[in-house]
Amino acid sequence: METILHILRSLPWRIRWLACALGFALAAALIRLLQLSTAFEAPLGLAIPHAPASVTLLCLLVMAGAALLMLAVHQPLRRRPWAKGQAHRWDFAFLDVNDRVYPVMMVGAAFLALGAAPGLLIRGASRLRLYLELRGQHGQPTDNGFLLLCTAAGALLAFFGLLQMGRESFRPGRRGKGGFSAALPGAACCMWLLEHFRAHASDPVLWDFAPQIVAIVAGMLFYMDCAGMSTGASRPRRLLWLAGMTVVLSALSLPEQSSVSDLLLLAAQALAAAATLWRLPPNLENPPAAGQPYQPMQVPPQEEESIHE
Amino acid sequence: MDQEQNRRDREPDLTARQEAPCRQESTGAQARKAATPGRELYLNVRFLAGMMAALILIFTFVARIVVVSGPSMEDTLHGGDMVLVWTLGYTPKQGDVVVVTQKTYQEDSIIKRVIAVAGQRVDIDYDAGVVYVDGAALEEDYIKEQMRLPAFGEGINHVTVPEGCCFVMGDNRNNSADSRHPDIGIIDDRCVIGRSMFVFFPPSRIKGL
Repeated sequence: METILHILRSLPWRIRWLACALGFALAAALIRLLQLSTAFEAPLGLAIPHAPASVTLLCLLVMAGAALLMLAVHQPLRRRPWAKGQAHRWDFAFLDVNDRVYPVMMVGAAFLALGAAPGLLIRGASRLRLYLELRGQHGQPTDNGFLLLCTAAGALLAFFGLLQMGRESFRPGRRGKGGFSAALPGAACCMWLLEHFRAHASDPVLWDFAPQIVAIVAGMLFYMDCAGMSTGASRPRRLLWLAGMTVVLSALSLPEQSSVSDLLLLAAQALAAAATLWRLPPNLENPPAAGQPYQPMQVPPQEEESIHE
Repeated sequence: MDQEQNRRDREPDLTARQEAPCRQESTGAQARKAATPGRELYLNVRFLAGMMAALILIFTFVARIVVVSGPSMEDTLHGGDMVLVWTLGYTPKQGDVVVVTQKTYQEDSIIKRVIAVAGQRVDIDYDAGVVYVDGAALEEDYIKEQMRLPAFGEGINHVTVPEGCCFVMGDNRNNSADSRHPDIGIIDDRCVIGRSMFVFFPPSRIKGL
Protein backbone atom coordinates (compact mmCIF):
# COMPACT_ATOMS: atom_id res chain seq x y z
CA MET A 1 0.00 0.00 0.00
CA GLU A 2 2.81 2.38 0.93
CA THR A 3 4.55 1.57 -2.34
CA ILE A 4 1.42 2.25 -4.35
CA LEU A 5 0.91 5.58 -2.60
CA HIS A 6 4.56 6.47 -3.14
CA ILE A 7 4.31 5.67 -6.84
CA LEU A 8 1.04 7.62 -7.14
CA ARG A 9 2.59 10.67 -5.46
CA SER A 10 5.47 10.65 -7.92
CA LEU A 11 3.12 10.75 -10.94
CA PRO A 12 1.77 13.87 -12.65
CA TRP A 13 -1.73 14.80 -11.58
CA ARG A 14 -3.37 13.84 -14.86
CA ILE A 15 -1.90 10.35 -14.59
CA ARG A 16 -3.06 10.06 -10.98
CA TRP A 17 -6.59 10.99 -12.02
CA LEU A 18 -6.62 8.63 -14.98
CA ALA A 19 -5.02 5.75 -13.07
CA CYS A 20 -7.49 6.12 -10.21
CA ALA A 21 -10.59 6.51 -12.42
CA LEU A 22 -9.67 3.77 -14.90
CA GLY A 23 -8.58 1.39 -12.13
CA PHE A 24 -11.87 1.75 -10.31
CA ALA A 25 -13.74 1.59 -13.62
CA LEU A 26 -12.12 -1.72 -14.54
CA ALA A 27 -12.79 -3.15 -11.10
CA ALA A 28 -16.40 -1.97 -11.19
CA ALA A 29 -16.99 -3.53 -14.61
CA LEU A 30 -15.50 -6.86 -13.51
CA ILE A 31 -17.50 -6.99 -10.28
CA ARG A 32 -20.64 -6.03 -12.21
CA LEU A 33 -20.03 -9.00 -14.51
CA LEU A 34 -19.65 -11.22 -11.46
CA GLN A 35 -22.83 -9.75 -9.98
CA LEU A 36 -24.78 -10.40 -13.17
CA SER A 37 -23.78 -14.06 -13.10
CA THR A 38 -24.19 -14.73 -9.38
CA ALA A 39 -26.48 -12.19 -7.71
CA PHE A 40 -29.76 -12.71 -9.54
CA GLU A 41 -32.25 -15.55 -9.36
CA ALA A 42 -33.59 -17.28 -12.44
CA PRO A 43 -36.14 -17.10 -14.03
CA LEU A 44 -37.44 -13.68 -12.96
CA GLY A 45 -34.04 -12.12 -12.33
CA LEU A 46 -34.86 -11.02 -8.80
CA ALA A 47 -31.88 -9.81 -6.81
CA ILE A 48 -30.51 -12.17 -4.14
CA PRO A 49 -30.49 -10.15 -0.91
CA HIS A 50 -27.01 -9.27 0.38
CA ALA A 51 -25.27 -11.14 -2.43
CA PRO A 52 -21.48 -10.79 -1.98
CA ALA A 53 -20.99 -9.28 -5.45
CA SER A 54 -23.64 -6.62 -4.84
CA VAL A 55 -22.21 -5.68 -1.45
CA THR A 56 -18.67 -5.58 -2.90
CA LEU A 57 -19.85 -3.39 -5.75
CA LEU A 58 -21.46 -0.90 -3.36
CA CYS A 59 -18.28 -0.79 -1.27
CA LEU A 60 -16.20 -0.25 -4.39
CA LEU A 61 -18.36 2.67 -5.50
CA VAL A 62 -18.06 4.31 -2.08
CA MET A 63 -14.28 3.80 -2.19
CA ALA A 64 -14.11 5.24 -5.71
CA GLY A 65 -16.12 8.29 -4.65
CA ALA A 66 -13.89 8.84 -1.62
CA ALA A 67 -10.61 8.33 -3.52
CA LEU A 68 -11.63 10.70 -6.30
CA LEU A 69 -12.81 13.21 -3.70
CA MET A 70 -9.38 13.12 -2.05
CA LEU A 71 -7.72 13.70 -5.41
CA ALA A 72 -10.07 16.61 -6.09
CA VAL A 73 -9.35 18.19 -2.72
CA HIS A 74 -5.60 17.99 -3.25
CA GLN A 75 -5.58 18.93 -6.93
CA PRO A 76 -3.29 21.97 -7.28
CA LEU A 77 -5.06 25.03 -8.64
CA ARG A 78 -3.21 28.20 -9.44
CA ARG A 79 -5.06 31.45 -9.28
CA ARG A 80 -4.39 33.55 -12.34
CA PRO A 81 -4.17 37.27 -12.13
CA TRP A 82 -7.23 38.96 -13.43
CA ALA A 83 -7.61 42.42 -14.84
CA LYS A 84 -10.52 44.52 -15.93
CA GLY A 85 -11.61 43.66 -19.43
CA GLN A 86 -10.06 40.21 -19.29
CA ALA A 87 -12.25 37.16 -19.66
CA HIS A 88 -12.71 34.75 -16.80
CA ARG A 89 -9.69 32.65 -16.16
CA TRP A 90 -11.36 29.28 -16.76
CA ASP A 91 -12.31 30.04 -20.36
CA PHE A 92 -9.22 28.27 -21.60
CA ALA A 93 -9.40 25.39 -19.17
CA PHE A 94 -9.24 22.83 -21.99
CA LEU A 95 -6.86 24.74 -24.23
CA ASP A 96 -3.54 23.33 -25.32
CA VAL A 97 -2.69 23.79 -28.97
CA ASN A 98 0.05 21.14 -28.81
CA ASP A 99 -2.07 18.42 -27.23
CA ARG A 100 -3.50 15.96 -29.73
CA VAL A 101 -4.90 13.47 -27.23
CA TYR A 102 -7.77 15.60 -25.93
CA PRO A 103 -9.24 16.58 -29.30
CA VAL A 104 -8.89 13.04 -30.62
CA MET A 105 -10.73 11.64 -27.60
CA MET A 106 -13.45 14.28 -27.85
CA VAL A 107 -13.93 13.64 -31.56
CA GLY A 108 -14.13 9.92 -30.77
CA ALA A 109 -16.75 10.63 -28.12
CA ALA A 110 -18.66 12.80 -30.60
CA PHE A 111 -18.80 10.02 -33.17
CA LEU A 112 -19.86 7.48 -30.54
CA ALA A 113 -22.76 9.78 -29.66
CA LEU A 114 -23.58 10.17 -33.33
CA GLY A 115 -23.56 6.39 -33.73
CA ALA A 116 -26.25 6.10 -31.09
CA ALA A 117 -28.68 8.37 -32.93
CA PRO A 118 -29.85 6.02 -35.75
CA GLY A 119 -30.67 3.16 -33.35
CA LEU A 120 -32.64 5.47 -31.07
CA LEU A 121 -34.44 6.96 -34.04
CA ILE A 122 -35.43 3.55 -35.42
CA ARG A 123 -36.64 2.29 -32.02
CA GLY A 124 -38.55 5.49 -31.33
CA ALA A 125 -40.19 5.48 -34.76
CA SER A 126 -41.25 1.83 -34.47
CA ARG A 127 -42.76 2.44 -31.03
CA LEU A 128 -44.60 5.51 -32.28
CA ARG A 129 -45.95 3.52 -35.24
CA LEU A 130 -47.13 0.70 -32.95
CA TYR A 131 -48.70 3.21 -30.57
CA LEU A 132 -50.59 4.90 -33.37
CA GLU A 133 -51.76 1.54 -34.76
CA LEU A 134 -53.11 0.33 -31.42
CA ARG A 135 -54.36 3.68 -30.13
CA GLY A 136 -57.76 3.33 -28.50
CA GLN A 137 -57.66 -0.47 -28.60
CA HIS A 138 -57.25 -2.96 -25.78
CA GLY A 139 -53.55 -3.53 -25.07
CA GLN A 140 -52.49 -0.11 -26.28
CA PRO A 141 -48.79 0.37 -25.39
CA THR A 142 -48.01 2.99 -22.75
CA ASP A 143 -44.85 4.13 -24.55
CA ASN A 144 -45.42 6.29 -27.62
CA GLY A 145 -41.69 6.50 -28.42
CA PHE A 146 -41.56 10.27 -28.01
CA LEU A 147 -38.77 10.24 -25.43
CA LEU A 148 -36.69 7.89 -27.59
CA LEU A 149 -37.05 10.28 -30.53
CA CYS A 150 -36.04 13.18 -28.26
CA THR A 151 -33.01 11.17 -27.11
CA ALA A 152 -32.06 10.56 -30.75
CA ALA A 153 -32.21 14.31 -31.37
CA GLY A 154 -30.20 14.81 -28.18
CA ALA A 155 -27.52 12.38 -29.40
CA LEU A 156 -27.22 14.45 -32.56
CA LEU A 157 -26.83 17.62 -30.48
CA ALA A 158 -24.26 15.84 -28.31
CA PHE A 159 -22.28 15.04 -31.47
CA PHE A 160 -22.03 18.71 -32.41
CA GLY A 161 -21.34 19.77 -28.82
CA LEU A 162 -18.55 17.25 -28.26
CA LEU A 163 -17.03 18.03 -31.65
CA GLN A 164 -16.96 21.73 -30.78
CA MET A 165 -15.50 21.00 -27.33
CA GLY A 166 -12.65 19.12 -29.00
CA ARG A 167 -12.14 21.97 -31.45
CA GLU A 168 -12.00 24.58 -28.69
CA SER A 169 -8.92 22.87 -27.28
CA PHE A 170 -6.69 23.87 -30.18
CA ARG A 171 -8.50 26.93 -31.46
CA PRO A 172 -7.91 29.77 -29.01
CA GLY A 173 -9.65 33.10 -28.93
CA ARG A 174 -13.19 31.78 -28.64
CA ARG A 175 -13.87 32.91 -25.12
CA GLY A 176 -17.28 32.24 -23.68
CA LYS A 177 -18.41 30.04 -26.56
CA GLY A 178 -17.43 26.74 -24.98
CA GLY A 179 -20.28 26.87 -22.47
CA PHE A 180 -22.96 26.52 -25.11
CA SER A 181 -21.16 23.59 -26.80
CA ALA A 182 -20.70 21.70 -23.54
CA ALA A 183 -24.32 22.22 -22.54
CA LEU A 184 -25.54 20.36 -25.65
CA PRO A 185 -24.43 16.87 -24.48
CA GLY A 186 -25.83 17.79 -21.07
CA ALA A 187 -29.20 18.47 -22.65
CA ALA A 188 -28.97 15.13 -24.47
CA CYS A 189 -28.36 13.43 -21.13
CA CYS A 190 -31.57 15.01 -19.77
CA MET A 191 -33.62 13.33 -22.53
CA TRP A 192 -31.75 10.06 -22.13
CA LEU A 193 -32.29 10.12 -18.35
CA LEU A 194 -36.04 10.65 -18.72
CA GLU A 195 -36.28 7.90 -21.32
CA HIS A 196 -34.34 5.41 -19.24
CA PHE A 197 -36.33 6.24 -16.13
CA ARG A 198 -39.65 5.86 -17.94
CA ALA A 199 -38.59 2.55 -19.51
CA HIS A 200 -37.86 1.02 -16.08
CA ALA A 201 -40.59 2.65 -14.01
CA SER A 202 -42.24 -0.71 -13.31
CA ASP A 203 -39.05 -2.66 -12.66
CA PRO A 204 -38.89 -3.76 -9.02
CA VAL A 205 -35.20 -4.76 -9.23
CA LEU A 206 -33.14 -1.62 -8.60
CA TRP A 207 -29.88 -3.24 -9.71
CA ASP A 208 -31.39 -3.65 -13.19
CA PHE A 209 -31.54 0.05 -13.95
CA ALA A 210 -30.27 2.18 -11.07
CA PRO A 211 -26.54 1.94 -12.04
CA GLN A 212 -27.25 3.37 -15.46
CA ILE A 213 -29.51 6.10 -14.05
CA VAL A 214 -26.72 7.18 -11.69
CA ALA A 215 -24.22 7.02 -14.56
CA ILE A 216 -26.40 9.25 -16.74
CA VAL A 217 -26.89 11.70 -13.86
CA ALA A 218 -23.12 11.84 -13.32
CA GLY A 219 -22.57 12.38 -17.05
CA MET A 220 -25.20 15.11 -17.21
CA LEU A 221 -23.72 17.01 -14.24
CA PHE A 222 -20.23 16.54 -15.68
CA TYR A 223 -21.23 18.12 -19.00
CA MET A 224 -22.99 20.94 -17.16
CA ASP A 225 -19.86 21.67 -15.15
CA CYS A 226 -17.82 21.64 -18.36
CA ALA A 227 -20.19 24.30 -19.64
CA GLY A 228 -19.70 26.23 -16.41
CA MET A 229 -15.98 26.61 -17.12
CA SER A 230 -16.73 29.06 -19.92
CA THR A 231 -19.53 30.98 -18.25
CA GLY A 232 -17.89 32.37 -15.15
CA ALA A 233 -19.41 29.72 -12.93
CA SER A 234 -16.52 27.30 -12.76
CA ARG A 235 -16.31 24.41 -10.30
CA PRO A 236 -12.97 22.83 -11.32
CA ARG A 237 -12.62 20.42 -8.39
CA ARG A 238 -16.20 19.23 -8.68
CA LEU A 239 -15.79 18.89 -12.45
CA LEU A 240 -12.79 16.62 -11.96
CA TRP A 241 -14.63 14.53 -9.38
CA LEU A 242 -17.67 14.23 -11.63
CA ALA A 243 -15.47 13.29 -14.59
CA GLY A 244 -13.88 10.51 -12.54
CA MET A 245 -17.23 9.24 -11.31
CA THR A 246 -18.64 9.37 -14.85
CA VAL A 247 -15.83 7.09 -16.03
CA VAL A 248 -16.40 4.66 -13.13
CA LEU A 249 -20.21 4.59 -13.31
CA SER A 250 -20.29 4.34 -17.10
CA ALA A 251 -17.92 1.36 -16.96
CA LEU A 252 -20.15 -0.18 -14.30
CA SER A 253 -23.18 0.15 -16.56
CA LEU A 254 -21.48 -1.11 -19.71
CA PRO A 255 -21.51 -4.92 -19.10
CA GLU A 256 -25.28 -5.34 -19.22
CA GLN A 257 -26.69 -3.41 -22.13
CA SER A 258 -29.69 -4.51 -24.10
CA SER A 259 -29.39 -1.69 -26.61
CA VAL A 260 -26.38 -0.67 -28.68
CA SER A 261 -27.48 2.96 -28.50
CA ASP A 262 -27.21 3.05 -24.71
CA LEU A 263 -23.82 1.37 -24.96
CA LEU A 264 -22.56 3.99 -27.41
CA LEU A 265 -23.88 6.90 -25.34
CA LEU A 266 -22.27 5.49 -22.20
CA ALA A 267 -18.98 4.99 -24.03
CA ALA A 268 -19.20 8.56 -25.37
CA GLN A 269 -19.61 10.13 -21.96
CA ALA A 270 -16.90 7.91 -20.45
CA LEU A 271 -14.47 8.92 -23.21
CA ALA A 272 -15.31 12.62 -22.83
CA ALA A 273 -14.81 12.37 -19.07
CA ALA A 274 -11.47 10.56 -19.52
CA ALA A 275 -10.40 13.29 -21.96
CA THR A 276 -11.23 15.89 -19.32
CA LEU A 277 -9.13 14.05 -16.75
CA TRP A 278 -6.29 14.09 -19.26
CA ARG A 279 -6.53 17.79 -20.18
CA LEU A 280 -7.81 19.67 -17.14
CA PRO A 281 -5.31 18.90 -14.31
CA PRO A 282 -2.23 20.38 -16.09
CA ASN A 283 -4.24 23.43 -17.11
CA LEU A 284 -5.37 23.96 -13.54
CA GLU A 285 -1.77 23.85 -12.39
CA ASN A 286 -0.63 26.17 -15.13
CA PRO A 287 -3.54 27.99 -16.79
CA PRO A 288 -2.75 28.69 -20.43
CA ALA A 289 -3.21 32.01 -22.14
CA ALA A 290 -4.70 32.17 -25.60
CA GLY A 291 -2.41 30.79 -28.23
CA GLN A 292 0.27 29.71 -25.80
CA PRO A 293 1.07 26.01 -25.56
CA TYR A 294 1.18 24.25 -22.23
CA GLN A 295 4.37 24.90 -20.31
CA PRO A 296 5.48 23.18 -17.12
CA MET A 297 4.70 25.25 -14.06
CA GLN A 298 7.39 27.85 -13.42
CA VAL A 299 5.70 29.87 -10.73
CA PRO A 300 7.35 29.81 -7.30
CA PRO A 301 5.41 27.83 -4.68
CA GLN A 302 4.48 30.94 -2.66
CA GLU A 303 2.38 32.17 -5.58
CA GLU A 304 0.27 29.03 -5.54
CA GLU A 305 -2.95 29.06 -3.65
CA SER A 306 -6.07 27.03 -3.42
CA ILE A 307 -9.21 28.41 -4.85
CA HIS A 308 -12.47 28.14 -2.97
CA GLU A 309 -15.12 28.84 -5.49
CA MET B 1 -6.22 37.30 -37.73
CA ASP B 2 -5.75 34.60 -35.16
CA GLN B 3 -2.30 35.89 -34.30
CA GLU B 4 -3.72 39.35 -33.70
CA GLN B 5 -6.42 37.87 -31.49
CA ASN B 6 -3.83 35.85 -29.60
CA ARG B 7 -1.72 38.93 -29.01
CA ARG B 8 -4.73 40.85 -27.67
CA ASP B 9 -5.62 37.94 -25.43
CA ARG B 10 -2.12 37.62 -24.04
CA GLU B 11 -1.43 41.26 -23.32
CA PRO B 12 -3.92 41.76 -20.47
CA ASP B 13 -2.54 38.62 -18.80
CA LEU B 14 0.98 39.99 -18.74
CA THR B 15 -0.25 43.32 -17.42
CA ALA B 16 -2.34 41.62 -14.79
CA ARG B 17 0.56 39.51 -13.50
CA GLN B 18 2.22 42.70 -12.29
CA GLU B 19 -0.80 43.90 -10.32
CA ALA B 20 -0.95 43.84 -6.54
CA PRO B 21 -2.58 40.73 -5.02
CA CYS B 22 -5.27 42.72 -3.19
CA ARG B 23 -6.34 44.33 -6.43
CA GLN B 24 -6.53 40.91 -8.08
CA GLU B 25 -8.70 39.56 -5.28
CA SER B 26 -11.25 42.32 -5.37
CA THR B 27 -11.48 42.51 -9.14
CA GLY B 28 -11.72 38.76 -9.47
CA ALA B 29 -14.50 38.57 -6.93
CA GLN B 30 -16.40 41.32 -8.68
CA ALA B 31 -15.97 39.56 -11.99
CA ARG B 32 -17.33 36.30 -10.61
CA LYS B 33 -20.38 38.11 -9.31
CA ALA B 34 -20.90 40.00 -12.57
CA ALA B 35 -24.21 38.95 -14.04
CA THR B 36 -23.82 38.43 -17.76
CA PRO B 37 -26.74 36.99 -19.75
CA GLY B 38 -24.73 33.87 -20.66
CA ARG B 39 -23.82 33.23 -17.04
CA GLU B 40 -27.37 33.78 -15.85
CA LEU B 41 -28.70 31.43 -18.52
CA TYR B 42 -26.11 28.83 -17.59
CA LEU B 43 -26.93 29.06 -13.89
CA ASN B 44 -30.62 28.60 -14.63
CA VAL B 45 -29.98 25.61 -16.89
CA ARG B 46 -27.65 24.07 -14.31
CA PHE B 47 -30.24 24.56 -11.60
CA LEU B 48 -32.92 22.88 -13.72
CA ALA B 49 -30.60 19.99 -14.59
CA GLY B 50 -29.70 19.57 -10.92
CA MET B 51 -33.35 19.60 -9.91
CA MET B 52 -34.20 17.03 -12.56
CA ALA B 53 -31.35 14.79 -11.45
CA ALA B 54 -32.46 15.07 -7.83
CA LEU B 55 -36.08 14.28 -8.71
CA ILE B 56 -35.13 11.28 -10.84
CA LEU B 57 -32.90 9.94 -8.07
CA ILE B 58 -35.69 10.44 -5.50
CA PHE B 59 -38.20 8.72 -7.76
CA THR B 60 -35.75 5.87 -8.30
CA PHE B 61 -34.63 5.16 -4.74
CA VAL B 62 -37.22 6.69 -2.40
CA ALA B 63 -40.66 6.92 -3.96
CA ARG B 64 -42.45 6.51 -7.27
CA ILE B 65 -45.55 7.91 -8.88
CA VAL B 66 -48.01 5.42 -10.32
CA VAL B 67 -51.05 6.09 -12.49
CA VAL B 68 -53.85 3.63 -11.80
CA SER B 69 -55.30 1.89 -14.84
CA GLY B 70 -58.29 -0.46 -14.72
CA PRO B 71 -61.08 -1.15 -12.22
CA SER B 72 -59.51 -3.84 -10.01
CA MET B 73 -59.11 -1.58 -6.95
CA GLU B 74 -62.49 0.17 -7.13
CA ASP B 75 -63.84 1.84 -5.04
CA THR B 76 -60.59 2.59 -3.23
CA LEU B 77 -58.82 3.63 -6.45
CA HIS B 78 -60.16 4.54 -9.86
CA GLY B 79 -58.56 4.56 -13.30
CA GLY B 80 -56.54 7.76 -13.76
CA ASP B 81 -55.79 8.26 -10.07
CA MET B 82 -52.17 9.25 -9.46
CA VAL B 83 -50.67 7.60 -6.40
CA LEU B 84 -47.44 8.26 -4.52
CA VAL B 85 -45.71 4.96 -3.74
CA TRP B 86 -43.08 4.68 -1.00
CA THR B 87 -40.33 2.27 -2.00
CA LEU B 88 -37.35 2.86 0.30
CA GLY B 89 -36.88 -0.04 2.74
CA TYR B 90 -40.47 -1.23 2.45
CA THR B 91 -41.58 -4.73 3.45
CA PRO B 92 -45.22 -5.71 2.84
CA LYS B 93 -47.68 -5.59 5.76
CA GLN B 94 -51.22 -6.89 5.91
CA GLY B 95 -53.78 -4.34 4.74
CA ASP B 96 -51.32 -2.15 2.79
CA VAL B 97 -52.13 -1.19 -0.79
CA VAL B 98 -49.01 -2.13 -2.75
CA VAL B 99 -47.66 -1.88 -6.30
CA VAL B 100 -46.36 -5.17 -7.64
CA THR B 101 -44.63 -6.24 -10.85
CA GLN B 102 -45.26 -9.91 -11.53
CA LYS B 103 -43.56 -10.62 -14.83
CA THR B 104 -45.15 -14.06 -15.15
CA TYR B 105 -48.44 -12.22 -15.73
CA GLN B 106 -47.53 -8.93 -17.43
CA GLU B 107 -44.68 -6.43 -17.77
CA ASP B 108 -46.63 -3.53 -16.29
CA SER B 109 -47.20 -3.19 -12.57
CA ILE B 110 -50.44 -4.06 -10.79
CA ILE B 111 -51.81 -2.39 -7.68
CA LYS B 112 -53.45 -4.59 -5.00
CA ARG B 113 -54.05 -4.93 -1.29
CA VAL B 114 -51.94 -7.26 0.89
CA ILE B 115 -54.27 -9.84 2.43
CA ALA B 116 -51.69 -12.03 4.14
CA VAL B 117 -47.94 -12.06 4.69
CA ALA B 118 -45.38 -14.81 5.27
CA GLY B 119 -46.56 -17.64 7.52
CA GLN B 120 -50.26 -16.73 7.42
CA ARG B 121 -52.92 -19.11 6.13
CA VAL B 122 -55.43 -17.84 3.55
CA ASP B 123 -58.78 -19.58 2.95
CA ILE B 124 -61.35 -18.16 0.56
CA ASP B 125 -64.98 -19.19 0.84
CA TYR B 126 -66.70 -18.18 -2.39
CA ASP B 127 -70.11 -19.39 -1.22
CA ALA B 128 -70.09 -17.01 1.74
CA GLY B 129 -67.92 -14.43 -0.01
CA VAL B 130 -65.53 -14.33 2.94
CA VAL B 131 -61.74 -14.40 3.20
CA TYR B 132 -60.21 -16.12 6.25
CA VAL B 133 -56.68 -15.35 7.41
CA ASP B 134 -55.36 -17.76 10.01
CA GLY B 135 -58.94 -18.95 10.51
CA ALA B 136 -60.39 -15.52 11.27
CA ALA B 137 -62.80 -13.88 8.82
CA LEU B 138 -61.52 -10.53 7.52
CA GLU B 139 -63.74 -7.50 7.99
CA GLU B 140 -63.43 -5.89 4.61
CA ASP B 141 -65.32 -2.64 4.40
CA TYR B 142 -63.15 -1.56 1.46
CA ILE B 143 -64.37 -4.14 -1.09
CA LYS B 144 -66.72 -3.01 -3.84
CA GLU B 145 -69.21 -5.86 -3.71
CA GLN B 146 -69.56 -9.37 -2.33
CA MET B 147 -67.06 -11.80 -3.83
CA ARG B 148 -68.25 -14.43 -6.34
CA LEU B 149 -66.45 -17.34 -8.01
CA PRO B 150 -64.08 -15.81 -10.63
CA ALA B 151 -64.14 -16.75 -14.32
CA PHE B 152 -60.85 -18.67 -14.03
CA GLY B 153 -62.31 -20.94 -11.33
CA GLU B 154 -61.34 -21.16 -7.69
CA GLY B 155 -57.65 -20.69 -8.49
CA ILE B 156 -55.44 -20.41 -5.42
CA ASN B 157 -57.89 -20.22 -2.52
CA HIS B 158 -56.40 -22.38 0.26
CA VAL B 159 -52.75 -21.64 0.87
CA THR B 160 -50.18 -20.87 3.54
CA VAL B 161 -48.01 -17.95 2.41
CA PRO B 162 -44.33 -19.01 2.19
CA GLU B 163 -41.46 -17.07 3.77
CA GLY B 164 -40.56 -13.88 1.87
CA CYS B 165 -43.89 -13.76 0.06
CA CYS B 166 -47.33 -12.18 0.36
CA PHE B 167 -50.88 -12.80 -0.87
CA VAL B 168 -52.57 -9.85 -2.59
CA MET B 169 -56.11 -9.21 -3.84
CA GLY B 170 -57.91 -6.31 -5.53
CA ASP B 171 -60.69 -4.49 -3.71
CA ASN B 172 -62.99 -5.08 -6.67
CA ARG B 173 -62.90 -8.84 -6.11
CA ASN B 174 -65.11 -9.76 -9.05
CA ASN B 175 -63.00 -7.84 -11.55
CA SER B 176 -59.43 -8.36 -10.38
CA ALA B 177 -56.52 -10.54 -11.46
CA ASP B 178 -54.60 -11.10 -8.23
CA SER B 179 -52.98 -13.84 -6.14
CA ARG B 180 -55.97 -16.09 -6.77
CA HIS B 181 -55.13 -16.10 -10.47
CA PRO B 182 -52.91 -19.10 -11.37
CA ASP B 183 -50.63 -16.91 -13.57
CA ILE B 184 -49.96 -14.51 -10.71
CA GLY B 185 -50.13 -16.56 -7.52
CA ILE B 186 -48.26 -15.78 -4.35
CA ILE B 187 -46.10 -12.68 -4.75
CA ASP B 188 -42.41 -12.64 -3.88
CA ASP B 189 -41.74 -9.66 -1.60
CA ARG B 190 -38.95 -8.59 -3.96
CA CYS B 191 -41.59 -8.06 -6.68
CA VAL B 192 -43.30 -5.47 -4.50
CA ILE B 193 -42.22 -2.01 -5.62
CA GLY B 194 -43.66 -0.22 -2.60
CA ARG B 195 -46.62 0.89 -0.55
CA SER B 196 -49.21 3.33 -1.91
CA MET B 197 -49.25 6.31 0.43
CA PHE B 198 -51.93 8.59 -0.95
CA VAL B 199 -53.81 9.69 -4.04
CA PHE B 200 -52.66 13.18 -5.03
CA PHE B 201 -54.41 13.63 -8.37
CA PRO B 202 -57.12 14.48 -9.38
CA PRO B 203 -57.59 17.04 -6.59
CA SER B 204 -61.14 15.87 -5.95
CA ARG B 205 -59.85 12.40 -5.00
CA ILE B 206 -56.94 13.38 -2.74
CA LYS B 207 -56.89 10.92 0.18
CA GLY B 208 -54.58 8.70 2.21
CA LEU B 209 -54.47 4.95 1.66
